[in-house]
Parts: sequence; C-alpha cells; structure tokens
Amino acid sequence: METSESYQVRLEVFEGPLDLLLFLIRKKKIDIHNIPIAVITREYLDYLNRKEQINLDREAEFVLIAALLIHIKSQLLLPREEPLLGGEDPRRFLVDQLIEFQKIKAACSLLKEREEEQLSLWTREIRPPLPEPGEPDLVEVSLFDLAETFFVLMKRKEAENFKVVRGKNYSLEEKMNEIIAMLKKEKVLDFLDYFSRQETLEGAIVSFFSLLELIRARLVIAIQEQLFQTIKVWLRKESSIRQ
Amino acid sequence: MAPGLKEIIEALIFVSLEPLSLDKIKETLADHPPEEVEQSLQELLRDCEAPGRGISIIQSGGGFVFITRREIDPWVRRFLKIDRKSKLTSASLETLSIVAYHQPITLSEISALRGVDSSYTIKTLLEKKLIKITGRKKSPGNPLIYRTTERFLAYFGLNSLEELPTEEEIAKIVGEDKPVEQEEKP
Repeated sequence: METSESYQVRLEVFEGPLDLLLFLIRKKKIDIHNIPIAVITREYLDYLNRKEQINLDREAEFVLIAALLIHIKSQLLLPREEPLLGGEDPRRFLVDQLIEFQKIKAACSLLKEREEEQLSLWTREIRPPLPEPGEPDLVEVSLFDLAETFFVLMKRKEAENFKVVRGKNYSLEEKMNEIIAMLKKEKVLDFLDYFSRQETLEGAIVSFFSLLELIRARLVIAIQEQLFQTIKVWLRKESSIRQ
Repeated sequence: MAPGLKEIIEALIFVSLEPLSLDKIKETLADHPPEEVEQSLQELLRDCEAPGRGISIIQSGGGFVFITRREIDPWVRRFLKIDRKSKLTSASLETLSIVAYHQPITLSEISALRGVDSSYTIKTLLEKKLIKITGRKKSPGNPLIYRTTERFLAYFGLNSLEELPTEEEIAKIVGEDKPVEQEEKP
C-alpha cells in the first residue's frame, strides 16, 4: 500500500478523484458512513495544492469533486427552517458513490489475482504457425475490422485510377473456390496481397465479399495483427479434415 | 486392450482446437451412458491433479482444455520467446470490472461510477476485444451499450459471468482493508 509513503504520492498515481478520496478516508481511518467533510476537504485540497498547476484536461475531475465537497459542507452549515424530509444527509450521494467505488476496487483486486494466475497458464492456441519473437498478439478480426481495412484498400485501389476496358463478370462462388484452392496449396494467404492483385475494382470487391462469406461459413480463419495491416487467412483445420 | 472412457475423453480434449464442452464429449460418446461419461471425466480431472506432470486439464471458457502447470511458466515463456505477457492497466481493470458487474452499461454510467472520463479506456478494451458494443440504450442521445465478451471470460479463466467474484468475496475484501490500514499506524 502507498500509505507509508503517502507524502510522496503524486496525483497521477490515483486513477481518479474517488481513488484519492478513498485513500484519504483510509489514511485518516474515517468511517465512510460518517465522513467529517471539513477534515476530508482540507486533506483533499492539500493534495491538489501540492501541484503547481492543474492540468484541466487530466485533472478537471479532481476539481469537480473538490467543488462537490465544498458544496456538501455548505449544505451542512446552512441553517434550515424545517429539517429535511426523512433526515436526508447531504453527504448521502457521495457516500453511496464511494461505497460502490470501494466494491469496484475490491473486485479489481480479485480480478487482478485471477489475471496473474491465468497469465502463467498456457494453452495450445489456435495459432497455425508459431509466432515470430516479438510479434504482437494475434487477434481474430471482427467484421468491423475487416470492413475498415476494406475501405483502406478501396482507397488504394481508387488511387491507382486504372481504366477497365472490358467488363467481366465475377461470381462469388468462383472467387470463393479460388481462395480455397489457393489456401489448400499455400496454407496461408496474405489477403492484402491477394486483393491488390485483382485486376479490376469489381474483382476486388467480390474477393472481399468472398472472404466474408468464407468466414461466415466458418471455412477459414482470418487474423489481423493490427488495424489497417494485412489480413492473413487460413483454412479452418476442422473443415479441411472433413472435406 | 480396448481404451477406457477416460483415455478417450483425454484424447478428445487433446485433439480439440477449442475448449471442449461436456455436451460435445457426450455427443461424441453417445453410445455410452451420460453418467458414465461424466464420471470418467471427473476421474480424468482427478488424475490430472496428481503430481509429476507438466500439463493438466482445466475447465475454462465453457469447456475443458489442456493447460501447462503454473510452475512451468518460465520455461514456456523462454521457449515461446515471450518475456512477459502484458497485463491490463489499473484503469482498464477498473473499467472492465465495472462493465462486468454492471452490464449492460453505457459510457456515461461507467464514467460516473469511476468519477473519471472513461472514453479512452473503453476504446482500449474494445480493441482488446474484452468488451463489445451490444446496442443502444433507449434514452436521450441513444448512447451505446457495452458488455463483456467471451474473450473476457477466457482471459480471467471464467466459464460464465456467474463465476465472477461474489458480493460476499468482495465484501470480505472491503472489510479486510480497514484492519490492515490500522496496523500501519505510524
């Protein structure tokens, strides 16, 4: 815990204002249900003041909670003609938020333990060839990623600005078979490469739709290492056995 | 000698590319009574706990998978030439637990719970495919709704959302925090 070195703790260490508040509440051993607003506000502002300037982009939220604390204090000080209905405590909103946040932090620490544990366990992953050292984690792409890449590719094709002299009809089925045949021969297909080898815009579009069809039919796996990079395509092992 | 059910199940899990579900095992071994299949599976899992092996079988992501023993981790990483698997940042973890416990949830609800604008963190989690967009809320502005993914479950070794730490476990941690702080009295 940071407690022992609390005075070296910088604002950046806290994920947000609630994090800082919880830290102060623990440090001062305050009962969360009965927060002395004046004490905690002073402590809180002390932390903010330790910074020479507030970066509004990053730290506006800290200022917001400071304002809330002061507002609550003023509510507590104001004399009232009639007591509030049901004895509503002005601190209530903040306390509820803090309690919920405390639960989230606890859940976080439990999940962190699980993460730690899982990271030391290894399965055989569906990664056809062994990854090269330093290669980023491969991610199976979603339709969304594919579409985005598609638009990038379309732009490139457009830029080439070639003319189609004679129209040619492409059928989805032909293209799908062509892709499957290539995969059988070469195992891995670099889709970007394949795509740019298409002679016409129409052929390019049809080849993209074929890929979508093949993925939908679960005949191939498409993997993209990073957005806008090439998509690598493999035959699904199960399907190739069956055929 | 004909192989026993236990050996067959072990082989099926070995061959399967994805976590092998109990249903799939039963389907494959339809010529055996389901109770026997389940019993053999339990035996297999018990066998796997015995010492002297580098691998084991666990239930994760809705099925059974072979997994390396935790103690072997340094050598596996050396073999795969992976220094360290990257962990989630605390902001990501915080946001992710909020989505996990409060789903379906919108960005502004997440930000309110954290007291911090969370749009960047949401973007990172979407990219990592730990959460997904599942629609829009029918409220002013029709904000997007987020949920956790299957990948989220697998990442934390959970089979379903029901296996998330319970209220009681969380309450225990919240309760434990206080005495610890008091011991550190200067």
